[in-house]
Amino acid sequence: MIDLGHIALILAFVAAICCAIASVVSTRKGSGRFAAVARIGVLAVAVLYTVAVAAMVYAFVTKDFSLKIVSENTSTDLSAAYSFTAMYADKSGSMFFWGWLVSLLAAVLVLQRRNSDRPVMPYAIVILAVVEAFFLSLVTLVANVFQRNPVPPSEGFGLNPLLQNFGMLLHPPLLYIGFAAFAVVFAYAMASLIARRPAKEWIGGIRRWTLFAWCTLGLGNLLGMWWSYNELGWGGIWAWDPVENAGLMPWLLGTAFVHSIAIGRKRNYLYTWSFALIVFTFVFTLLSPFITHGGIESPLHGFLSSSYPPYILTAMIITLAGSLCLLYFRRRGFERGEKPSSLISTEGAFLVTNIIFVALVLVIIIGVVFPQIREGLGGGKVALNRSFFDWACGPVMLVLVLFIGVCSVLGWRKTSWGPLKRNLLFTLVPAAIAAIAVLISGIGNWYAVAALVCGFPFLTIMLEWFRGTRARHNTSKKNHLMSFLSLIWSSKPRYGGFIVHIGIILITLGVIGSTLYDVEQTATLDIGDSMAIRGYELTYDDLTTEQDSMKLSSTAALSVTRGDRLVAVIRPQLNYWFYRMETFAEVAVRSTASEDLFVSMVWTSFDSSDKSATFRVKVNPLVIWMWVGGGFILLGGALAFWPERRRQPADEAKGDE
Amino acid sequence: MGAVKKRYLIGGIILVAIVGYLLYLSLGSSVMYYVTVGELLDGGYGKYDTDIRVTGKVANGSIEWDAAQLQLEFDVIEGNASLPVIYNGAMPDGFSSGADVLVEGRYHPDQVFRASTILMKCPSKYEPEE
Repeated sequence: MIDLGHIALILAFVAAICCAIASVVSTRKGSGRFAAVARIGVLAVAVLYTVAVAAMVYAFVTKDFSLKIVSENTSTDLSAAYSFTAMYADKSGSMFFWGWLVSLLAAVLVLQRRNSDRPVMPYAIVILAVVEAFFLSLVTLVANVFQRNPVPPSEGFGLNPLLQNFGMLLHPPLLYIGFAAFAVVFAYAMASLIARRPAKEWIGGIRRWTLFAWCTLGLGNLLGMWWSYNELGWGGIWAWDPVENAGLMPWLLGTAFVHSIAIGRKRNYLYTWSFALIVFTFVFTLLSPFITHGGIESPLHGFLSSSYPPYILTAMIITLAGSLCLLYFRRRGFERGEKPSSLISTEGAFLVTNIIFVALVLVIIIGVVFPQIREGLGGGKVALNRSFFDWACGPVMLVLVLFIGVCSVLGWRKTSWGPLKRNLLFTLVPAAIAAIAVLISGIGNWYAVAALVCGFPFLTIMLEWFRGTRARHNTSKKNHLMSFLSLIWSSKPRYGGFIVHIGIILITLGVIGSTLYDVEQTATLDIGDSMAIRGYELTYDDLTTEQDSMKLSSTAALSVTRGDRLVAVIRPQLNYWFYRMETFAEVAVRSTASEDLFVSMVWTSFDSSDKSATFRVKVNPLVIWMWVGGGFILLGGALAFWPERRRQPADEAKGDE
Repeated sequence: MGAVKKRYLIGGIILVAIVGYLLYLSLGSSVMYYVTVGELLDGGYGKYDTDIRVTGKVANGSIEWDAAQLQLEFDVIEGNASLPVIYNGAMPDGFSSGADVLVEGRYHPDQVFRASTILMKCPSKYEPEE
């Protein structure tokens, strides 16, 4: 089984190279035969790669310790689900998994466009095949994932307890799917440029792929926060670690790209800019493995000593240099579309938003590489603490959220004062009044900022929906609810976008509450003792300890009262893992709409005679809205992704699908 | 062409201005020296009034946890160099003898490092020592 997988993987590598060559030839001769070979090649890579992954998963689930990757990442009593996740917890395994996703998505693209996009697809296939070959060379030549143990050990090293969490099932795969989908978007955009297709065409053709990539990457990052919050025990969502930043930066660039093609499609400009954005987005997806594999020192996460970084860096430089040269030589090919006649218009605001996104990424990347640069210049080794990122990026992100509102109150092309005044009266004015009210009530100055920054764009969306619904209600005589639904259904990309924006606004609210207004208290309690935090009183009732083959688990029971009312009994857990001789906490969280009560048991003696334990308790306001916001992003993304009815076949058929 | 150039110029200036301002605002106050235990004890970084991040391993048997006072004392070692650390707060997940650790805080004239933050270096998996 393992040999079969290994052979399939090597064949996939060969197939990817052949496929790239066949596709190059097919563009030269324009012959259908080589094009067909190349198309079959893409499918063959996907099938062979899938066989290899299936063999690997089988080895993981059956705990075949003759494979090095299995013995280093699992142990006999690890459950089947986490055995699967252990595959991408490994440094080579993660690249193996990611490359597989690229091969699958490339196959989807080829199947989807088998009868269309004739001039573009051969080039897209070349680029994707080269990307596949890159990943395959890493996992076969540079560090073979199917490497055997000379003598199979009887027990594996096990999976880090922190990775044995529900988040592990979703967070890395979503990130990798997003990264892989951006590779497809990049390949298609490049191919269109090489084939000298009109920019409007490739943007239409890649719109849904972009949405898919953007949504999965965004949700992947959000799940990373969820995981950090629920598993890592520190009660925070984001540490600005280089590894986290590496997931955030391509997403921010991707966000700028989504917006620049949205407006490009509508107004026929910004093409050079859009193209540069997708190039950088793709290159930044490669930055992520470069950092996790040790190319830039990450204090917190990551794999130790990997041989990949030099190869990844080379790939990044070649991609960047090649793409930008191509863009330079093809710059005359871009049609000159309309130009924004005034900066004070939706287009102008879009432009500014785009620039801010790029500035934000620049600041983050400078923060990531600054210590390296300084060391390189002989300045001694330094680190940036998180206040750098908080203060450099936080306010910019708030401005970006505010711009959701700014873009929609301004008019297309040119803003006239009359409608603007009416728009502001219904949106900015109430938001400002709310902000002032919050300021006076003394709940907190940042909450006032939140009221303005979140309230204003939220009201602009509501106003838009209200007007649309009313207009539909008046013309169609349907009731308001039906009018609203048919309004949304009539223009799915537009209204999907609005729903995603609501998600972003909710996440902003959650971030402001949980990072600026959290309170924390640590105390050691004996049975019967209590501690108080922001209106809650926690009484330590009981401690029970259980043992299984892997760990000793102590579970505390604390009753939580507010005023005189018992609101919950929560049960944080502390596990002592035998094989690591380390303790890891399982936190208990009680969520309500206004705040989370977060309890982590950080110490107990694991001795039945002494039940005293140390608890770290946090109250984190508004956290739940971050996860609700994630739901909105998923909903809005799915709506925008939904196939549009092809009203203009000439325009759309070439593109979507 | 002139208009296009002007637009790029304006965009570029805005970009540089934002980035420059943000860096100016936050870079100065956020820089910490990042040293190993040996480097700290050798001096050179012997400044007592700046934030320092030190990396090393938790020395075997050095962990003392005072649950009542919520005070954690341990030594961070690197080779033969050993640095006593005091931290007021609970131990993070995975804190144990031999673990790789980052401590942030200040080095005091009494030769004790008072940590404000302890971070665990957390490799995703067991890595055999080579």
